[in-house]
Formats: sequence, C-alpha cells, structure tokens
Amino acid sequence: MSENDKFYVERCLDGHPDDYRYLVRRYQGVLLANLAGKLGSRDRAEEAAQEALVRAYFNIGKLKKPDSFFSWLLGIADNVAKEHQRKEQLQRQREIVRSFSEESSGTELSQDYALETAIAELPEVYRKIILLRYYGQHSCNQIAEQLDMPLGTVTKTLSRAYAMLRESLQQQTEVYEVSQ
Amino acid sequence: MKCTEIKELLVAYFEGLLGDSEQQAVEEHLKDCSACQAELQELKGLRDRLVTNGKALAQSNLEEDVMNQVIREQNTRLKAAARATNALKIRRTIMKSPMIKIVAAAVIIIAVLIGINPFKSTITFADVVKPLLNARTLILDVIVNIGSDVDEDTDPVVHDVIVDQRIRRVVSTQEHIVNIFDTENAKMLTLHTEGNIAVYSDIQGQVQDMTKNYVTVLLDIITNIQNNPDFEAEKIGEKEINGQKCVGFVAGNLTIWADAETGLPVRIEAHEPGLTAIYKNFQFNIPVEELESQVSMEIPDGYKLVENEGTEFDMGTPTEQDLVDCLRIWAEDLMDGNFPETIGMTEFTKTLPQVEGKLAESITSAEEGTQKGMSLGKGMLFHMQLKDKHYAGAGVKVGEADKAVFWYLPDGADTYRVIYGDLSVKDVAEENLPK
Repeated sequence: MSENDKFYVERCLDGHPDDYRYLVRRYQGVLLANLAGKLGSRDRAEEAAQEALVRAYFNIGKLKKPDSFFSWLLGIADNVAKEHQRKEQLQRQREIVRSFSEESSGTELSQDYALETAIAELPEVYRKIILLRYYGQHSCNQIAEQLDMPLGTVTKTLSRAYAMLRESLQQQTEVYEVSQ
Repeated sequence: MKCTEIKELLVAYFEGLLGDSEQQAVEEHLKDCSACQAELQELKGLRDRLVTNGKALAQSNLEEDVMNQVIREQNTRLKAAARATNALKIRRTIMKSPMIKIVAAAVIIIAVLIGINPFKSTITFADVVKPLLNARTLILDVIVNIGSDVDEDTDPVVHDVIVDQRIRRVVSTQEHIVNIFDTENAKMLTLHTEGNIAVYSDIQGQVQDMTKNYVTVLLDIITNIQNNPDFEAEKIGEKEINGQKCVGFVAGNLTIWADAETGLPVRIEAHEPGLTAIYKNFQFNIPVEELESQVSMEIPDGYKLVENEGTEFDMGTPTEQDLVDCLRIWAEDLMDGNFPETIGMTEFTKTLPQVEGKLAESITSAEEGTQKGMSLGKGMLFHMQLKDKHYAGAGVKVGEADKAVFWYLPDGADTYRVIYGDLSVKDVAEENLPK
C-alpha cells in the first residue's frame, strides 16, 4: 500500500492483475467524490466508479506515463460520468434539492450532495487537489509530488479552491431558496 | 498585515503549511480581528465538511467488486482470444486437409448409435401405427448414454430438426458442424459453419436404416399416445415438467410423460441395461415451410464444396480391424498414447472437439483423413454391435503388449478375441481371460 502508483501500474502490466486492488483501494474514495457530485447519487457514483476502474484496468497499457495514473484515471471517470450524465441530469437536480432539505433539518449527512456538486463544478486542477487532499487522504506535500507542482502552488490552489467552493455552495443555497 | 492578506493565508494556516514568521503573523492578527476569526471558522467548517464527506466515501468498498469484474472480464477476453485463435487454426487446417470428412464420419456414428432402437423389445403397441397426418415436423433433443447413467447437464445433446424424411442434426459438443440427413436418398450433407465448407457423404445401408428407424419409432410412439392416451401402459401419475401438467406412463422399459391436455409427449425416457436415452424439448408441427430451408440438401451461399478426392466414404460392414484401427487412432492421435478411460457413444461424442483439433493436425493427406474418419466410425459401429464385450483400457499405454485392452465373444464362437495394448489380437478361452 505504501508503493507509488507507478509501481502498481507496472505490476499490472507485468501480469499481476491482483495488484490492481491497491490502486482501487487508493482511489475509490476520490473517484466516488468526483462522480457523486456529477451524477447526484451514491449508487450511480459507485456504478460509474466501478466502470471507470475496470475500464482503466483494461486500458492500462495505453497509459503513457505510469506515474500520472491518477490524472489519467480521473479523465476516464469524467468520460464515464459524461456518458451517464445526460440521463441523470434531472434526477441529480432532485437529489440536490433533497440534500438541502436534509441539511436544514439537521440530519447528519452520510453524503453531502451539495458539496459534491460544488466539487464537481471546480476547474480540473482545483478539483484534483480537493479530491486528493480530503478524499484520497494525501498530504499537501504528497499532492505536490503527485501533480508535479511546487508546494507553494498547491497551497495557493487549495486556498483558491476553498474560495470557489464557498461561492458555489452559496449560489446553490440561493437557488434553493428561490425555488422554495 | 491587512485583513485581505491574512484571509489569503487562512487555509494554509490551518493546513499547517505556513512558515514560522507567517504563522506568527496570522496568529497575532487573529487575536484582535473578529472578522478574520469568523472567516477562519467558516473555512474550518467547510474543511470539516470535506473531511466528514471524505471519510464517508472512503469507507465504501469497491475493491472486491472491481477485482471480481476485472478477473471475470479478463477470463472472458482470454477465452474469446483462445477461441478466435483456435477457430483461425481450424480454418487454416480445414482448407488444407479433408478433416471435415472425419467429422462427417464421426457424426455418422452418432446417427447410427441413436438409431439403435432402444424401444424394440417393449413396444407392443407399435402395430397400431396410424398414418402421420399431422406430425410431419418434429424438433427435439436427444441424450443417449451407453454404459452409465445419463447426466443431463454434461452429456452431449443431439439436437434434431425432423421434416419428413430429412433431419438436421447438431451435436452440442460441436455446434459449428451441421449435418443434414436425407434418409430417402441415403445422402448426408455436412456443413462446417465456421469454415464455410460443405461435404456430401453416402449413407447407404446401416446408417440409412438406423436413421430412418429412429424417426419412425419416435413418430410411432407419438402417434400412439396422441391417438390413445390410455394405451396399453401403466399410468404412473402426474407431474409438472417445465410448467406443463403431464401424465406419466410406463410401458416396459419406457417412461413417457405426455401433456395432460394434448396428449403430446413432453419427455420420453428409455432405460435398458447399459443404455439410457432421453428425448425431450419436443416441438411439434411447426409448419414445413418454416423449417424447409434448414433441411435443404443444397449447399448454402458462400459455402465451398469439398469434392471427394482420394478415398470414397464407405461405411459398409464394419470389421474387427476397424475397431483395432479406431482404438489406435483414439489412443495415439487423441490421447497422447493412452487408451481412453472408457469407450462408447458418450465418450466418443465428448471426444469430437479433439477429433477436429488434434486429429486434423496429424493428417498429411486427403486420403489419410478419409481413412481415419472411416476407421473411427466403423470401429465404433463394430463395437456397438457386440453383445458380450469388455473394455479394460484405462491406464494402458499403446505398446503394452501384456495388457489386454478389450475382449469380446464373436457370434457363435467358443473363444474370445482379445485386443492387447500393442493392438495385437489373439483368441483366448473364457477361463484364461484377464480378471
């Protein structure tokens, strides 16, 4: 579990499919967070995450840089999400509204649709950092290494991502209040 | 520092990413600035929300699902690849060799084997044969097992479409080989649906008789039940088969389950010592027009006819030598030099896919292919006709002259004929037979 992505990608390519499970373990939460916001429900996110992970496995030979597995996987997940999205659009709106009412009623949320939707709408670099930090449990230093950027840039980007999330959540609340 | 500058640093502050001096500056500022304190609380609230949600999602377990799907799909892909390679190999081989004839010969054996009338000693109502006005067409599955009990899940299934005197037959172990029998004109057309190759065979004599016999007997049974649901048989009760309410009869070694309303048979079982046959999945009286094209003796578009170069098929009277050759081919070409565990129709049918693969590879000429096909077929026919016989080839290798593989008592003879592992044959008195 401590090895980097490149190690496991190469193990898979060398004919050890079972080692793929470590990559699944590492990124399942990240993918779910990324997909839940786009697809509007946990079930659909799981379905899409599974599809993305399986698709990634069978295309792993096409991954040019094994150490950029995460970005590549996220790209696949985004594609899967787009395929699923059209038919899910309406449903998603309903789920968001429901999540607001649940939130206002003070119920403890096992899933935060509003937040996931806000994440889903972040530009890619901001989204990646939020996902890795809070859904992949990476430290900022690890993120800097993973995304190949200076720590200072990670810090600034994270800060900016917070601002964007706040703004997006604020807007959602307004939309919700107007629709009430 | 001004509030705007501090606010820029708050995320880095609670993430522990600031240098000492900046850290201190932020702390100092926060002491006196309630606006920035509020801002910090709000950001931390958002962070907690992210952390909570992150933990909730990390708890999910996609791992097993994904790995199972990966492994399942991997296997499917490997199998598909192997199939494609295999099909390609077979196609290449088939173009060069006359192996379709071997397969044709093998299928002829099946024709004969299922034509052996398992009802002969017990059908007492066969003299009431009525003209078959309605049952001109019949579709059914047949499972015949010689020597042991039928296992309906694993035994090879013969799927027949019968239209008048024609039969279209596919055996489950080789679904890409279709055989069409014209029992009236004693012809058989074999189609290899992957190689798009066709071959005609002559089936005069035993094959023709047996095949006709099989259809006649089946149709007789059906007519009899249909016309007289209380025919001379013992009613053994009712049960549901595939959702149909059925009435059961036993006549000698025959058990027949017929639809309680229409009287049409749903399942027929024939048990004789050493032979079990099950006839099921019947479909009656589908209009001839719908099935006609399936039993056409014309070569379909896109198929290439393999002409009879070399030896002609001759499925005439089988001899002991045919059985010896059959055992040799089976052991040497199909089993890497080991005699099979048992011999008989069921084993033979299960071996068919290898006949196509392994045997085809070992053949060098059209003549050899036809010869081997005929030997296999006639050897099995000879074996079928023997009454007093015993097989002991399990564990024996080709060449082991001291081990007996098979013995039988020829009709009217006093001594047994014994075939040994080196495929020599000797006369042996009963008391000297191997134990």
